[in-house]
Amino acid sequence: MDLSGDRLISELYIFFGLCVLFLLGNLVIRLSNKDFPQFLFNCAVLSLLALFSASMLSSDLATTAMGMLSINPFSLFFVLILTIAMLLTGILAYEYAGRYGDFALMASFSMMGIYLVAFANSLISIFIGLELMVIPTVFIVLLSRRSLEAAAKLFIMSAISIGLLSFAIVTIYGASNSFALVHAQQSDLMLFAAALFVASLGFEASIFPFNVLIPDVYEGSPSYATAMLGGINKKVGFIVLMQVLILVFATFKSAFLAVAMLSVLTMFYGNIVAIMQRSFKRMLAYSSISQAGYMLIGIAAATSAGIAATMFQIFAHAFIFIGIFAIVAWLESRNRNEIDDLIGLNQESRLMAAAATLFMLSLIGLPFTTGFVGKFLLFLSAVNANLVWLAIIGVVNSVISIYYYARPIMAMYAVKAAAKKIKPEGAIVFVVLACLAITLLLGLYPQPMISMATNAANYLFSMA
Amino acid sequence: MFLPLLLLVPLFAAMIAIALLRPSMKYGYIASAASLASLLLLYFVQNGSITITWFTIGKDAIAITTTIAPLNMALLAIVFFIGTLIHLYSTGYLKTLSEQKRFYIEMLAFEIAMATFAMSGNFILLFIAWEFLSMLSYMLIGFWHNRERAVRAARLAITTVLIGDIALIAAIVIFWNTFGTFNFATILSLMPHSVSIGLLAGSALLLLAIFTKSAQFPFQEWLPEAMEGPTPVSAFLHSSTMVKAGVFAAIILFPIFAAAHLLALMLWFGVLTAIIATFNAMREKQVKRVIAYSTVQELSLMLVAVASGALIAAIYFFIVQSFYKALLFFSSGSVMHATEEESIDKIRGMSSNKLLYISTLFGVLSVAGMIPFSGFFASAAIGSSVFTNLIVYSLIILIGLGTSFFIFRWFFMISGPDKAGETALRYKALPRAMIYPAVLLAALTLAGSSIFFLIPGFLSSSPAFITGAPQLSVSLLDIVSVTVLFAVGAAVSYSLYKPSRLLKPSQKKGSALASLAYTHKFFMLLYGGAARFVYEISEGVGAFDLYLSEAFDWLGHAVVLASRGIRRMSVGGINPYAFVFAVGFAVLLAWIFLVIV
Repeated sequence: MDLSGDRLISELYIFFGLCVLFLLGNLVIRLSNKDFPQFLFNCAVLSLLALFSASMLSSDLATTAMGMLSINPFSLFFVLILTIAMLLTGILAYEYAGRYGDFALMASFSMMGIYLVAFANSLISIFIGLELMVIPTVFIVLLSRRSLEAAAKLFIMSAISIGLLSFAIVTIYGASNSFALVHAQQSDLMLFAAALFVASLGFEASIFPFNVLIPDVYEGSPSYATAMLGGINKKVGFIVLMQVLILVFATFKSAFLAVAMLSVLTMFYGNIVAIMQRSFKRMLAYSSISQAGYMLIGIAAATSAGIAATMFQIFAHAFIFIGIFAIVAWLESRNRNEIDDLIGLNQESRLMAAAATLFMLSLIGLPFTTGFVGKFLLFLSAVNANLVWLAIIGVVNSVISIYYYARPIMAMYAVKAAAKKIKPEGAIVFVVLACLAITLLLGLYPQPMISMATNAANYLFSMA
Repeated sequence: MFLPLLLLVPLFAAMIAIALLRPSMKYGYIASAASLASLLLLYFVQNGSITITWFTIGKDAIAITTTIAPLNMALLAIVFFIGTLIHLYSTGYLKTLSEQKRFYIEMLAFEIAMATFAMSGNFILLFIAWEFLSMLSYMLIGFWHNRERAVRAARLAITTVLIGDIALIAAIVIFWNTFGTFNFATILSLMPHSVSIGLLAGSALLLLAIFTKSAQFPFQEWLPEAMEGPTPVSAFLHSSTMVKAGVFAAIILFPIFAAAHLLALMLWFGVLTAIIATFNAMREKQVKRVIAYSTVQELSLMLVAVASGALIAAIYFFIVQSFYKALLFFSSGSVMHATEEESIDKIRGMSSNKLLYISTLFGVLSVAGMIPFSGFFASAAIGSSVFTNLIVYSLIILIGLGTSFFIFRWFFMISGPDKAGETALRYKALPRAMIYPAVLLAALTLAGSSIFFLIPGFLSSSPAFITGAPQLSVSLLDIVSVTVLFAVGAAVSYSLYKPSRLLKPSQKKGSALASLAYTHKFFMLLYGGAARFVYEISEGVGAFDLYLSEAFDWLGHAVVLASRGIRRMSVGGINPYAFVFAVGFAVLLAWIFLVIV
């Protein structure tokens, strides 16, 4: 698509104008001290953003602004899915956070950071974006008074990871004299920078062994915050990982092999530890770690198909995760946190039991769900990149995972003696159904998402 | 275009069940009618292959391919025909009507998955169907989910079958890597003359998947355990359809195993399983488990026939076995229904319901191999297929003898005289829906013999490797040997379990040798050990976090002791997790620097 320079800039401005509006809206309506108008306003802004990025995505736009930001299919793909994810998380928070205004303000800062990362065209934008994303998240976790410990842990680990990241950026600058995302020459300093990068993003993307506190944070945070952490923030770690590894360290074979090894470790760690968990939330935390391991397979493949597969899996997991944490939030509000507490759920609410079952089947990778398509694409890309062993380890892991997903499913369908019907709140039902629709419909007909992801991945490789 | 309809009719029936089913309804008739409609629709289905692209990524198109060849038609017909009878039988069998919704929805879903499996023409569709079969089998075995034994049996089944699922998908991955396609026909046309590592690894994993699904050594025990499920489930999934998925895959992908030189392996595992199953069946007391071991043994014999290249013999056995095996399960269910006992030591008096008695006898005669029942031709065909290998042939002869013995033992015991005579009325009061399907199947055990003569014509449009397989024939030697085995087994069985003996049960325990032959307990211990091993690993890794933080605490204290002066500055702040992070980083750094690619 041919666009003149002025029009490009105007489009950029429109886009960031929307972001500012989003922010200002929060501040202005905050004065009225009413949650509902603010909530509506946020939903409207986020929907507009999603629509806008979807329309730009179909036009194959690719441009840069001020050398720092770039609108391209890769960034728009993530803006689209993460905006919709934020919309759904916002609904959860509105239902459960108590003080929605505080959540909205922090979330809008965090979203700004996420957009910066997605649009990043230089290491500086990535750094600023990540920082902007992480710090408000700590306060979101803190909204619930009981989660002080989780917030502290999140803060410490984020600080370490951001510290390492800045060190990595400085090292790259020292070696190449540039903050741009361009191919680096292999040197000892650059290898060091690559290791720093992978380690620092290890926490942001929940990769073993840099993820050690993540289950604690997920378990200790209120469920809507966990939905945001696991469904949105941890995905941003992957965006950066893909950008930097493909654009900067593309020729560093040992770094990609390291990613493959980390993928194996992360899958096994997540899956094996999940088997022993009694708390449903903690089990899901380990499960999301193992899913991060699968996502790394596509990055390790270092091909366009691999990146597309990782992007699809990020999309798939984001919505499954938010959907299932909507259910967890609902259960949590009734003080049911253990897997054993799920007994009789089917009698209480058929919808919730069926939805949770379908989400978990999708996490296992049952055909006709997005989870299946994502894993299938990942394994296929690994095989095509001559990483058959990695694909097979992935297969073994996805079968191990059946064990711990089966337990909650069986518990939900077990019969409880005195079970009464419970009607879930409308907002929760909406979030669950929306996530379920995405999981099932795009699992049955995944072509649009695959085309978008392929397009985005091809763009990323054309820049490299 | 009639192909999707085959699946849509049961799906529609399942939807009716979801929407409309009330506990008072006799829903089985609707399910049965749906299966019958699909069976009739088969008449319009034509041979050929359909490919629908599901999605494309880059230049790879992921497609769903269906293939209809005579063998696929045969399996589809079995699924829908047995399905029709199963649903009918279930109307009599299910006493707790509140459970019938779940039951029929799961059964219909199984029927759809099995039919999908039967028409699969590439690995994508095969895998999808295979996976759903595993899951539905798990749900149906554990149908009585408040019985602990049922839950345990379901868990054993899913664990075993999951090993096969890993193997299957790994095999698919390797085949894709080796041949670049998922399509069966294309893969079969690409068979090389020399064995490549990809072909060998892929087909070995595929064989492993077949062994788990079709309950072959060392995975055979899940099938007898699966008898904890409702009887219609045993009759449908665990005798006539699902367990044969493995054998079916072995037949349609036969050239792969031939090219990979794995047929000898298949042969000997088959023979070994058959021996184990026969011995277990001779000792087993639970009425359904005897039949289950007999099923395991028949599946082994089918694989033996496949491995010897006698594909037509295997297909014949594959078809007729469904009839008499479903029949024997129907009978088992009926006698359990009437007596409310499970052990053949206690079940007596089946002869008081003449219709049931005679149909069961037909099934038994067929299993034992009496001329002219369809089982006779099956035994003869299997015998002649391995005739060139004298060791296997003599083992098959002995297995035939054992079969005749244990099936008559089962039959004589359950139809033996009932001392108190109180069950006679209950036998007579058995619902008609439980008797007539058995009668129909009994007729087919006889009529099925005609398939022996019709099958070459039926299979004429099959792929070349099937039509080129040795034709069926019965020699005088086969007739004599099968008949002698049948007679000797029956006679020995009668002398041990004749009515006069059954009336005064001996307290004599079986010899040590005989209990050694009952390997069931040994295998269960083996599985338990394997499961515990995996569990320990998981627990060990689960304690990882804990040990790690303790180790680092200890390290911290050591540092404290070493330099008290800087304690306040550093050690007090050491967070074990940050330490893990640091160690991880150090390892990563070393990796990136030292691994030269």
